[in-house]
Amino acid sequence: MTATDVVTAVLVPLGALFTLIGTIGLVRFPTLLNRMHAATKPDTVGLLLIITGAAFQLPDVRSAAPMFLAAMFQFVTVPVLAQTVGRVSYSRGMVDSERLVVDELEEAVRTTRDDD
Amino acid sequence: MTEGMDTSSAGASTSAVTTRSAGMRLLGRLPTVLWLTLMWVVLWGDPSPGTVIAGAVVGSLCYTVAKLPHIPVRLGFRPWHALRLVGVIGYDLFRSSVHVAFHVLWRPAEVRGAIVAVPMRTDSDFLLAMVSGGLSLVTGSLVIELNRDQGVIYVHGIPIESDGAVDRLRRQVRRTEELFVRAFGTAEDVAEFERGDLGAQGEDR
Amino acid sequence: MNLLDHAFTAAFAMLAAAVLFVLYRLVRGPSVLDRIICLNALSVLVVSFIALEAGLRGDTAYIGLMVAIGLLGFVGTLTATRFAERRAHDRD
Repeated sequence: MTATDVVTAVLVPLGALFTLIGTIGLVRFPTLLNRMHAATKPDTVGLLLIITGAAFQLPDVRSAAPMFLAAMFQFVTVPVLAQTVGRVSYSRGMVDSERLVVDELEEAVRTTRDDD
Repeated sequence: MTEGMDTSSAGASTSAVTTRSAGMRLLGRLPTVLWLTLMWVVLWGDPSPGTVIAGAVVGSLCYTVAKLPHIPVRLGFRPWHALRLVGVIGYDLFRSSVHVAFHVLWRPAEVRGAIVAVPMRTDSDFLLAMVSGGLSLVTGSLVIELNRDQGVIYVHGIPIESDGAVDRLRRQVRRTEELFVRAFGTAEDVAEFERGDLGAQGEDR
Repeated sequence: MNLLDHAFTAAFAMLAAAVLFVLYRLVRGPSVLDRIICLNALSVLVVSFIALEAGLRGDTAYIGLMVAIGLLGFVGTLTATRFAERRAHDRD
């Protein structure tokens, strides 16, 4: 049992826990946007933790580098997906406005319509 | 303090676009090809000369075949601020993930969200893209719409428990913007940002 | 079994449970976008599984797959979302 093993033993289950809680949110949240928040971002944090933990078990840095490349791609692609899904769900009216405290986008859209 | 370097390549800002020589065009594409080569080497996990050369060849080929448009990148880079940016985004990501995780387990049906409009103080396309990417990466905040003409972004955030949380969301957006501008903006971008910042404070009073 | 093995077992179990939750939402829907999100979550889960496997065995053979699956998942999800968007506009 070395120090690297301890780091792995902490990071890997923690990452899996983040992923698990994110997917529980995917099941339990009642609105689409909330589900999207829960399903995409904690997954990414979880993946990063798992990869960091797993990298400590690999023989050298060279073999671990592609894993961090995968994590980096995840970090670049998640905002794109989140934004696309968010925009589509809003434009399709799938956002539950009763669960929004304020909706300044709706106000902005309404004023533009009134101007026309 | 580190001074912002203007890394705008190919001198696209100064020389007339029509008279750009072939050499300048090549220089403008160099960063992308270098980046592709780096990815190639990392994927192979083997920085030997053969891998590097093969990567450069494949990278150039991809660039030629894909006919990627060459957009002059007008960004600066300040290492210290970039480090701060990574630190803050990482902290935000972790903290808000824990926050949302708590709400997943404790009464998820009562979680409210909010969409706030936040006027941006910068007008650079690159910086706006980066800011919205950085915001959408963090758990519980998501850019839904960006009004390019008025420079306003609309951010959806959860969980909103009180009016204070709405203000916190606004502050988070503005802080993220400031970090990105200071880390990656050119000197002009920073100056413009600070002018906008003063104007916004004047309106508050 | 030492601590490390327990840690990996726990992580595998949690990810397996996560797959079940995602599948539940995938079947339930109710909207196309929900299902698209679920498919993306599944691809992230597969990448996580490969990372776990690599860490457990100290084996680097499948690491390239992580990048490939991650990017494929991204492109697939983005295409599906765009498609859903176009369909919505056509109906208007």
